[in-house]
Amino acid sequence: MIGSRAALVGIGATEFSKRSGRSELQLAAEAVFKALDDAGLAPSEVDGMVTYTQDTNQEISVARETGIGELSFFSRVHYGGGAACATVLQAAMAVATGAASTVVCYRAFNERSGRRFGQPDARLGGEPSSQGMEMSWHVPYGLMTPAAWVAMFARRYMHAYGARSEDFGRVAVAMRRHAATNPAAWFYERPITLAEHQASKWIVEPLHLLDCCQESDGAVALVVTSVERARDLRRVPVVVAAAAQGAGAEQMMMTSYYRDDMTGLPEMSVVGRKLWEQSGMSPADIQTAILYDHFTPFVLSQLEELGFCGRGEARDFVADGGIEIDGRLPVNPHGGQLGEAYIHGMNGIAEGVRQIRGTAVNQVPGTRNVLVTAGTGVPTSGLILTG
Amino acid sequence: MTAVTQETVHQLAERQIAVGEVRGTPAADPVNLPMIRHWTTAMGDANPVYTDEEYARGSVHGEIVAPPAMAQVWTMPGRGRDEKGGTPVDDVLAALDGSGYTGVVATNCEQTYHRYLRLGERLEPATRMTGFTGPKQTALGEGYFVTWNVSWYSSGEPVAEMLFRVLKFRPRERKPQSGSSQPYPLRPAVNRDTEFFWEGVRKGELRIQRCADCGELRHPPGPLCPKCRSVARTHVVACGEGEVFSFIVHHNPPVPGLETPFVVAVVQLPEGVRIVGNVVNCLTEEVSIGMPVRVRFVQMDDELTLPMWAPGGS
Amino acid sequence: MRTVSEDQLAVGTTLPELSVELTPTMIVSTALSTMDFTPVHHDVDRARAQGSTDIFLNILTTMGLVERYVTDWAGPEVLIRGINVKLGVPGYAGDTMTFTGSVLSERAGEFTVEVRGRVSLGDHVVGTVRFAIPVEFG
Repeated sequence: MIGSRAALVGIGATEFSKRSGRSELQLAAEAVFKALDDAGLAPSEVDGMVTYTQDTNQEISVARETGIGELSFFSRVHYGGGAACATVLQAAMAVATGAASTVVCYRAFNERSGRRFGQPDARLGGEPSSQGMEMSWHVPYGLMTPAAWVAMFARRYMHAYGARSEDFGRVAVAMRRHAATNPAAWFYERPITLAEHQASKWIVEPLHLLDCCQESDGAVALVVTSVERARDLRRVPVVVAAAAQGAGAEQMMMTSYYRDDMTGLPEMSVVGRKLWEQSGMSPADIQTAILYDHFTPFVLSQLEELGFCGRGEARDFVADGGIEIDGRLPVNPHGGQLGEAYIHGMNGIAEGVRQIRGTAVNQVPGTRNVLVTAGTGVPTSGLILTG
Repeated sequence: MTAVTQETVHQLAERQIAVGEVRGTPAADPVNLPMIRHWTTAMGDANPVYTDEEYARGSVHGEIVAPPAMAQVWTMPGRGRDEKGGTPVDDVLAALDGSGYTGVVATNCEQTYHRYLRLGERLEPATRMTGFTGPKQTALGEGYFVTWNVSWYSSGEPVAEMLFRVLKFRPRERKPQSGSSQPYPLRPAVNRDTEFFWEGVRKGELRIQRCADCGELRHPPGPLCPKCRSVARTHVVACGEGEVFSFIVHHNPPVPGLETPFVVAVVQLPEGVRIVGNVVNCLTEEVSIGMPVRVRFVQMDDELTLPMWAPGGS
Repeated sequence: MRTVSEDQLAVGTTLPELSVELTPTMIVSTALSTMDFTPVHHDVDRARAQGSTDIFLNILTTMGLVERYVTDWAGPEVLIRGINVKLGVPGYAGDTMTFTGSVLSERAGEFTVEVRGRVSLGDHVVGTVRFAIPVEFG
């Protein structure tokens, strides 16, 4: 079992901005230094590195910049933001098997000032790779942005369960409320109202602008080592109680429209089942959840897939501040990607660590176990962190 | 002006940015009531602090002030005045014109007013070029974004600032009336597993892959049958009817080759498979889940035909 | 006429709509009153020759109308600090521009209002106006 063999002992991040003014490699290096300093470890103690296939910074480049020497383990995870928690899974597996002793996971990009994922790219459908062939059934019709791919699911979800745009809006309002008191958040001191959500322009109906997360420049790095080694380090160890990846049957990158049911996230259900099984926990054991929020509708689906509420009931769950700090399940106390920054889910893992340490700016009292998820609508991953 | 290369236009831009702030011709007239009145009347702005002396005297300003948004007006060259005051931006815009980027559209205007202007003040502008990016693909065509900042001074005191950005673009060729048309930019990748589908579309057939052994229908198609592992593939021609299973209306950002808003739907076919396509020939607000639709084959250019969906069932 | 008080400026408050008829007279008179003599703002033939369907509003007027929209609502004595806009489709003669807006935020006594001016082709202008309330009204 992977559970409780590894711990997160360091977290680091750059500032979150719209224009970092420096290369993606520099961002990666800065975040790695901060994470190692946080852990109290020297670069020379790192022997493993994990990142996303989408990251433009090779592991060896980051190692070279930061003075990390020899590596005995390096690995990358595919499927966009679905890789976030899986980087920690990879690191934990490396630590548990002895492939490496201390592993750095990182994600660094100029996603706002450089290549923006939300912009249509006509080349998406042109590649005769298996992913290009998948895209070719969608891109020629202009169905080619993440917002559009998600909106297609959202419309069916609304139809099936009577959810309304306002239900999605409540997620955005909660995230922005959290970000408003987080000085690291781009939307610090800038909460929104449901009326503003409703008045914001259409991106892709049924999604308004304020249903879509921001675009950010920045980097986050995490340090993973064994639970035994963690006890000797300066920080309270944050134990990886469970870590899992998930892909569903008939899975596509972001256009799994050909399954019987289009209202759920079966890939997240796989992750959830694995997490509960590995940790021996159930939703009632979770005090804080970090749910991937690149678009609001999938926050509702995740609550359902992970068992926090029944199918179609998430809109009642998020009503009346249900996912706010003093709600029935505080979600993304840092403000999530809608409020803090879009670092492809890695900033959420860092927040999970802070919640367990008790050092978060919006600390949820009594947090012992945090569930963290990665990209939605894509093959994904998840973690349960514990003190 | 001869065409310049991408590199030289960037070099020119960098040079002009390095020039820094360049003073322009001072305003021909001081801030004055007749021009304010002309402006407020045209705008329909009835704010009395701009034109009613008595009201203005009792107001927070204590006297008549100019509308802040008039800041730029005071130093406009007007008609017949020599415009060759020369700002660092002029040469860059001219170089782009000479290279075929003849279109221009303003994209951003950001003004900051440090204080309200009183009658009698005479403004002096100063311009510096601050940004140059491109070439970028935009909805209007390939182009460069050029940014400059203007500061207005009154007796040496900065009173207002402006950031202004334009897109200089190469206008798209209009579609010729006959002969070859512009290729549609959103093209599918086609390989030996999928070419039967696109061949069918060109002939006006909507083809669904069918396993020659077990009869399983499948869309999107693939190299073999996941049910029985057979590689013996054939196809059936769909009846052409369907029902909207889900749909979106795309507004932003612009998509190359398409005009927004446009509708994309997942269509459920009576044969038991789903397919994605545009819904056309109806208003976006009339599309709904469950709506019966019928396939239409739309020729996008000389080579590509796409199946699309229009309202109407059997 | 009076200036709005701070308690009427809660974040989320929506501004009353304002419709402005973009008559040819309006387009021409505003262009000239802003000292903008570019032909596309007063000469239909020249405007069409460069691919426009008619004469259209100039940017200095857009800025003036955005300012007017906010002061019409907030009162004559609010202090306009800045206007930031993104420009969209042209405002052609014969069209109507409808302004909508809402209070976006307040920080250190400075209010930000989000403003949108829409014509039949879509958004002509979207942006923000920053203003402060004079102390004696606060």
